Amino acid sequence: MPAGWWTRKRHYFLYVVREFTALPLALWLLWLLVEIKRAGDGPARYSPHGSTAFVVFSVIVLLFALYHSVTFLSLTGVIIRVKLFDRPLPSGLISLAMFVLWAVASVVIGFVLIWFGR
Amino acid sequence: MSTGARQRPALMHLYWWFLFSQGGVIAALLIPVHVLIQGILGPLGVVRVVDRHYDTWVQVLGNPIVKLYLLVLIAVPFFHFAHRLRYLLVDFGMPVARTVPAQAVFYGGAVVVTLLTIWVLLTTAPLSLP
Repeated sequence: MPAGWWTRKRHYFLYVVREFTALPLALWLLWLLVEIKRAGDGPARYSPHGSTAFVVFSVIVLLFALYHSVTFLSLTGVIIRVKLFDRPLPSGLISLAMFVLWAVASVVIGFVLIWFGR
Repeated sequence: MSTGARQRPALMHLYWWFLFSQGGVIAALLIPVHVLIQGILGPLGVVRVVDRHYDTWVQVLGNPIVKLYLLVLIAVPFFHFAHRLRYLLVDFGMPVARTVPAQAVFYGGAVVVTLLTIWVLLTTAPLSLP
């Protein structure tokens, strides 16, 4: 395959972006692990990440995270086969259910993160 | 008449595929809200977030359900990431990423992250029942 194959078609480019989302998401999760580890430093030494650079990094990661969510949850309708009364559910319905689940999970987790922050 | 070697079910393939797909689902459902709140809104001071203060952070980290949740949130997606990044290298013309040593590096890396997460969660905040 030629070196720049993925820049030649929009479809290829978006495929590479989708696969690449793994890297920023992995880095952010490692940051979260560091934040957890810092809680072991004691109250005097604990300092959560809060620099401008970190916020900018998180904004970029959020864009990749949303792209992963939208593309992956859209695919679930194709991957997951659910039969109801011996009839397969439409793939669109399965994807819709996953998007609803995403929204509910986000609200619940967001609420918990903020509620216990008081 | 014997037909020779019997076909064995690809159990390892099933195992990795299961972790890959579950990691993708968990990453899709859970990561964006954590990034938005803990990575952006909390540091900007828009909302009060649990990890901004030592007391609140340690209190929730001591909860065994939170520990289990964080283990799933952090560790399982790494099996998804390992698979995606390995095949991205193959697509970029690096067939070496298909080899067994490469698989050991990528999936072994996910196992290392899993063990590291377990260690951090068990050693950071003492278990406390709500």
